[in-house]
Amino acid sequence: MTFELPILICWLPALGAVLCGLCCMHRRLRVCAGPICVLSILLPFVVTLVGRERFTGENPTIVHMFNWIHAGRFIADFSYLLDPLTFVMLMVVTGIGTLVAVYACGYMAGDRGYARFFASVALFIFAMTNLVMADNLVLLYLGWEGVGLCSYLLIGYYYDKPSAVKAAKKAFIVNRVGDLGFAIGIFLTYTRYDTVSIAHVLQNVGPAATSWEDHWIPFMLMLGAFGKSAQFPLHVWLPDAMEGPTPVSALIHAATMVTAGVYLIARLMPLFLLSPYALPTVAVVGGLTAFFAATIALCQYDIKRIYAYSTISQLGYMFMGIGVLSTVGGIFHLFTHAFFKALLFLTAGSVIHAMAGQLDLRKMSGLRKKMPWTCGLMFIGCLALAGFPFTAGFYSKDMILAATLERGINHHNIAIIALGVIGLVTALLTALYTFRLWFRVFMGPTEYEMGLDHHGHEEEEEEEADHGGRGDVQVEHIHEPHEVSWLMNGPLLVLAAGALLAGWLGQRHHWMKHMVEHSTAAVADPDEHGVHLHTIMLFVSSAIAIAGIIIAAYFHWLRREAADTVTQRFATVVRVLNNKYYVDKFYDASIVRPLRTAGELCFAIDRLAIGLVVALVGCVPRALGISIQSSQKRTIQGYGLGMAVGVAVILLLMMVMK
Amino acid sequence: MPYVLYIASTLGAVALFMMMPRHGYSPRKLGALLGAVTLGGLWLFLAQHYLEPASDRGITAPAVVYHYIFSGLAIVAAVRVITHDKPVYAALWFVMIVLASAGLLLVLSAEFMAVAMVIIYGGAILVTYVFVIMLASQPGDTAAPDDAPAYDRVSREPAAAVVVGFVLLALLLSAMFATGDSTDSPWLTPNVMAQAPSDELIIEKVLTNRAAQRALDRIGGQGEATVSQTFARTDQLDNTERVGLDLFEGHPLGLELAGVILLMSLVGAVVIARTRVEASQPQEKS
Amino acid sequence: MPQALGSLTLSHFLLTGAVLFVLGLIGFLSRRNLIIMFLCTEMMFQGVVLTLVAFSRFQSNYTGQTFVIFVLTIAAAEAAMALGLVVLLFRRKRTLDASVWSALSE
Repeated sequence: MTFELPILICWLPALGAVLCGLCCMHRRLRVCAGPICVLSILLPFVVTLVGRERFTGENPTIVHMFNWIHAGRFIADFSYLLDPLTFVMLMVVTGIGTLVAVYACGYMAGDRGYARFFASVALFIFAMTNLVMADNLVLLYLGWEGVGLCSYLLIGYYYDKPSAVKAAKKAFIVNRVGDLGFAIGIFLTYTRYDTVSIAHVLQNVGPAATSWEDHWIPFMLMLGAFGKSAQFPLHVWLPDAMEGPTPVSALIHAATMVTAGVYLIARLMPLFLLSPYALPTVAVVGGLTAFFAATIALCQYDIKRIYAYSTISQLGYMFMGIGVLSTVGGIFHLFTHAFFKALLFLTAGSVIHAMAGQLDLRKMSGLRKKMPWTCGLMFIGCLALAGFPFTAGFYSKDMILAATLERGINHHNIAIIALGVIGLVTALLTALYTFRLWFRVFMGPTEYEMGLDHHGHEEEEEEEADHGGRGDVQVEHIHEPHEVSWLMNGPLLVLAAGALLAGWLGQRHHWMKHMVEHSTAAVADPDEHGVHLHTIMLFVSSAIAIAGIIIAAYFHWLRREAADTVTQRFATVVRVLNNKYYVDKFYDASIVRPLRTAGELCFAIDRLAIGLVVALVGCVPRALGISIQSSQKRTIQGYGLGMAVGVAVILLLMMVMK
Repeated sequence: MPYVLYIASTLGAVALFMMMPRHGYSPRKLGALLGAVTLGGLWLFLAQHYLEPASDRGITAPAVVYHYIFSGLAIVAAVRVITHDKPVYAALWFVMIVLASAGLLLVLSAEFMAVAMVIIYGGAILVTYVFVIMLASQPGDTAAPDDAPAYDRVSREPAAAVVVGFVLLALLLSAMFATGDSTDSPWLTPNVMAQAPSDELIIEKVLTNRAAQRALDRIGGQGEATVSQTFARTDQLDNTERVGLDLFEGHPLGLELAGVILLMSLVGAVVIARTRVEASQPQEKS
Repeated sequence: MPQALGSLTLSHFLLTGAVLFVLGLIGFLSRRNLIIMFLCTEMMFQGVVLTLVAFSRFQSNYTGQTFVIFVLTIAAAEAAMALGLVVLLFRRKRTLDASVWSALSE
């Protein structure tokens, strides 16, 4: 086992997870879990930053840590591939991870499962770093499953809430469907290339597909990516995953885990290029999901669910970008999206926390006076999400939309042009629903209805002696929303800075482009000599964003009654959107109910038929015993009689048997 | 042939069953008659159809008569033991069995055994039994205190006992009287129909016995002992001496062990009889 | 008749011995008085003794009679212990009925 700096990146979080787990043991140790977790994510970030030359060299470096599976010709080791794509992903994972962890120290303060939370988060970071740094598909799958496990643990963190438990199970099971595809993809890769090492596979990939596996591998891997990144039809788990605590939603379901699917496709881009249908499928699914999720987000009332659907929509954008061979666009959008989506989730968490668990959009209004900082920070995030000029989202989204329309126009492909137009419409919708939320929550007359939740408050009253004065969230019962502590606001400021500047920094000196094109996600630009719409798109997307903001301002700030009128006129549409196009109900009726019925049938058969047989078998000894009981006379003479009979029988047998 | 045995067993079973003590009326006299007839008939049948004609080698005629007398007496007495109400009478009838059995042993030229039986059984064991019966006797119920108590007057499951017993008897008899047709079974008694060997034959066989060899050394035979001399000597050995020789020469260890066993039983009987036991009287508990 | 009576075979004695044995067995199984039950076992001994001595006489082997000596010894020892136990049992329950000692039945 060679000791190299990149190994610290992966294994420090593991150590952190173990230490946090140990902190669960004692009440007084619990408070140490937060700082331990933060450190175990911060240090890898620092290490990555310091060692960035390892990542950005000419050829991808491979660091072999230790032998893992050697089964005949099948070799899967713990070895890590360090290339610029990995660097970008690690920056996202560890950077956003640190900030969210700091926020969570304040958000989760006083909770009984404090140490358990941070142990799970550290374990998640371990799995995620393994995922993004893995050199072979099996190690990647390990990370993949690990993040799925941690997602389950963290969604079901409030394990006494049945809805949280259900959501955790749903997430895990729907992910499983995708993971099946991924596993089959790995099997096919091994069959075709006789190795699962990414570096070796990518070296041996020919320019064209030579066998049937080459056509199917991308589709199987795509299925896995769609499961993990919540694209249609495997998107149903992400909105329900909002049952978990807000830092979890920010970290896992916005910035890192759900982007694993995008990363997978980007990493194995040469494999996807082999089949002519794979990437178009990715683009179509991504684009349609983006539109589909944006429409649903328009009619939701739960603020976290709005952001969940927004995440699905933005992931759709990333897939669309990769699908049209703009991997730079996809990864850039991943990068910027991490910043502003995390910011949005965390500010939404602050709002929910301040409103004592109230999530309903209709029950809060005009909170800007009570929570000015949160209001400002969320505004910055909303601008970035909508793609306001010069914010982070602007550059990345613009790159994707431009690439889509370019591709369509240059190849005279109506479908891709249509996809691009859908993308533009989705951008408008994005601005609409984002600012709908912001205007409703923070603007307008100040009236609100507090929630019934006292997470953290009760615990603090019980453990006042323990309270170290860290996140002095609330000590006495307050029935009004108020600003959150600096512990929680600090990271938000950093994220807001990122939301504003990340885009500009990313395209300055073509940094992102340089990063991506020196990694395995590099794709030759097929439109060297076509139309370049980049500049035009800048204006078009700015216009769309501003138009969306204005429309939202009208309906949700200035004339809210107009919104009600519109809702009534399009009541059917609104109902369909409210029910999320009935996808959940469809799954329930077609899959969940039949399975449950089958399960109950099996249970009934087991209990009645098999149980009956077992009971019958059990009755036999009893019956035998009872029937023989009567021959036990329990008197001496009875036994004597038996003995005499026995002697007679023996004599008879002796005489009969010649 | 075996059918006669089975018929005789069945009739005997019926007879005995009739003689068993019961609640109500039991046809004892009838049963007795039937039993006697059965036994007599069986003997006659055996004598007629089964036995070899008389020869001069064999037990002399008076012994045959004595055999029948003593056998009949023993069987009658045995039946009375098991069907009599009162325990003391049963014990006395048992004494009769002992005497009859002693007579049979005399017929078999085993006079030592006969006398030993009378002494040990009649003199020791049965006296003990009678003592204990006296000690532990109970009056009958208050209505008729002179009668035996209920557990003596009514037998327990007579039918089952009689059936099982006579089935066993039938099996034993058919084993004893089996013909020698099938010779490959080791369980069939080889030639029980053999008549009693003569005394000379016995003497000859005894001479080949190891114990007898040593006896020979002891009682004489220095130098060359001719067969006739030993012959002349050993035909004067009587049953006691022969048994004694066999016992002390052939089974000395057994003898010692028997003594130890008697000692053990003596000690055991003393210990048991000394134990004070509180009589359980549940009606007196509060 | 005298001819028939003239022979005495082993089977005569075996018959008598078997009948005594079986009568003893029947008595043991059907009497309820503890002492008489033991008496009937002594009767079974009698039958056995007769059979043994008859075999010994007819096969010219005195081991049978030696065995009878031992049987007598054991019978005596056993009778002594048995009667001691019967006395004990009588003292406990004040009755000689064997059916009171069926505490195993429920």
